[in-house]
Amino acid sequence: MYEVKKLVKKFDKVKVLKEIDLDIKEGEKIVIIGPSGSGKSTLLRCLGRLESPTSGKIYFDNKDITKIHNTHEIGMVFQSFNLFENLTVLENITLAPIKTKLLSKQEAIKKAREYLKQIKLEDKENNYPADLSGGQKQRVAIIRALMTNPKVILFDEPTSALDREMIEEVLNLMEDVAKEGITMIVVTHELNFASNFATKIIFMDEGKILESGSPKELFNNPKTERLKEFLKG
Amino acid sequence: MSFFNDIGDSFYKSFIYDDRYLYFLEGIKNTLIIAFFAVLIGIFLGMIISLIKDYNKEKNKLKILAKICDFYVYVIRGTPVLLQLMILYYVVFKTVDIPIVLVGVLTFGLNSAAYVSEIIRSGILSIGNGQKEAAKTLGLSYFQTMRYVIFPQVLQNMLPALGNEFITLLKDTSVAGYIGIVELLKASDIVSSRTYDYFFPLIVSALIYLFFTFLLVRFMRMLERKLNHVRS
Repeated sequence: MYEVKKLVKKFDKVKVLKEIDLDIKEGEKIVIIGPSGSGKSTLLRCLGRLESPTSGKIYFDNKDITKIHNTHEIGMVFQSFNLFENLTVLENITLAPIKTKLLSKQEAIKKAREYLKQIKLEDKENNYPADLSGGQKQRVAIIRALMTNPKVILFDEPTSALDREMIEEVLNLMEDVAKEGITMIVVTHELNFASNFATKIIFMDEGKILESGSPKELFNNPKTERLKEFLKG
Repeated sequence: MSFFNDIGDSFYKSFIYDDRYLYFLEGIKNTLIIAFFAVLIGIFLGMIISLIKDYNKEKNKLKILAKICDFYVYVIRGTPVLLQLMILYYVVFKTVDIPIVLVGVLTFGLNSAAYVSEIIRSGILSIGNGQKEAAKTLGLSYFQTMRYVIFPQVLQNMLPALGNEFITLLKDTSVAGYIGIVELLKASDIVSSRTYDYFFPLIVSALIYLFFTFLLVRFMRMLERKLNHVRS
């Protein structure tokens, strides 16, 4: 699905990503971990076409997507939710599929209501984002990403801005989404979640992928000193 | 008694004698025409300027156009509006037969556009990148994002600043008298130069300005309430 080749990203003169090579297969649940400043969010934003790489190539389903352009095939969920503040919950979810002519208005509303029911927010469809709790906002953001039928959803620290008691509801929803077979790539600090959820874990440090493998391999037998330290802390 | 006689006499000279109130009506008419159409031009052109600059920032395209917009805003903000009025009247339209009020409309419209574009730009900045990025990953185009997500919020955020700009504009039209447009202040000046009595013409035009800015303030408040209502 994704093929990343020698990806380099510089901000001014700082090299944030140093020649990253990465292959991601359809249906995989990837969790990217690493200390802050390791470049994991930048990598995710490159995959989501929100940053254009300084050099290197990114292929998605064999298409070169290195140059930024809009597609609904790559969904994204953000740390700060980024719901549209001027629109109701229902409008937030249906805007993109209707305006990009993916669904008719009726179809979009029907699908949106099914999703809202699934996350038990059906009574909030006419509320504005300002009325919702953080956890509710993030769950709406997740189903908003699902509405456009993406092939992959990228999660950029989806629970980092949430209180303890709300983290659970978001992680549960992510597990439900995973069951539908969609490819997911998650940057997170929730290591427990990562070990249950991931088919593959990637450990990044200082702009490089230091280790990758199954949760068991990485968590039980870390090979590098950096990962050992990271898991202790 | 002579005090009241004087006042009555002064009022009579300023407004009734020779139908002098007609000057004031003409002045009000021109002031409102200039302010109204200048606001329309200002909003329309200001929106285009801010969109070009934002599009350039976002997509790194339209570079030359964006530079022209930057220069335009720089020049307009960096020179007095009276000077702009004189350049348009004595230089640009020197040989063109054009109604003088139209020169006023154009000057104040082009002037206001620069300020409005900056108000809109700061409104766009205040919303931040997050919602734009979310829209992008949902497959919405730049213009769809602006139209349905960013601009409705910009409008709400910028209403107080925009109201301020309109009030300034309404008062600034008094400068138009300099090239001979009979706007409100010019009208009172014409009358008082005939009567050598400045009291009533000046006080009355002050009251008229205050009345219109009062209406403007009320109107903007109403708009703000309306838009706020939508959100909560």
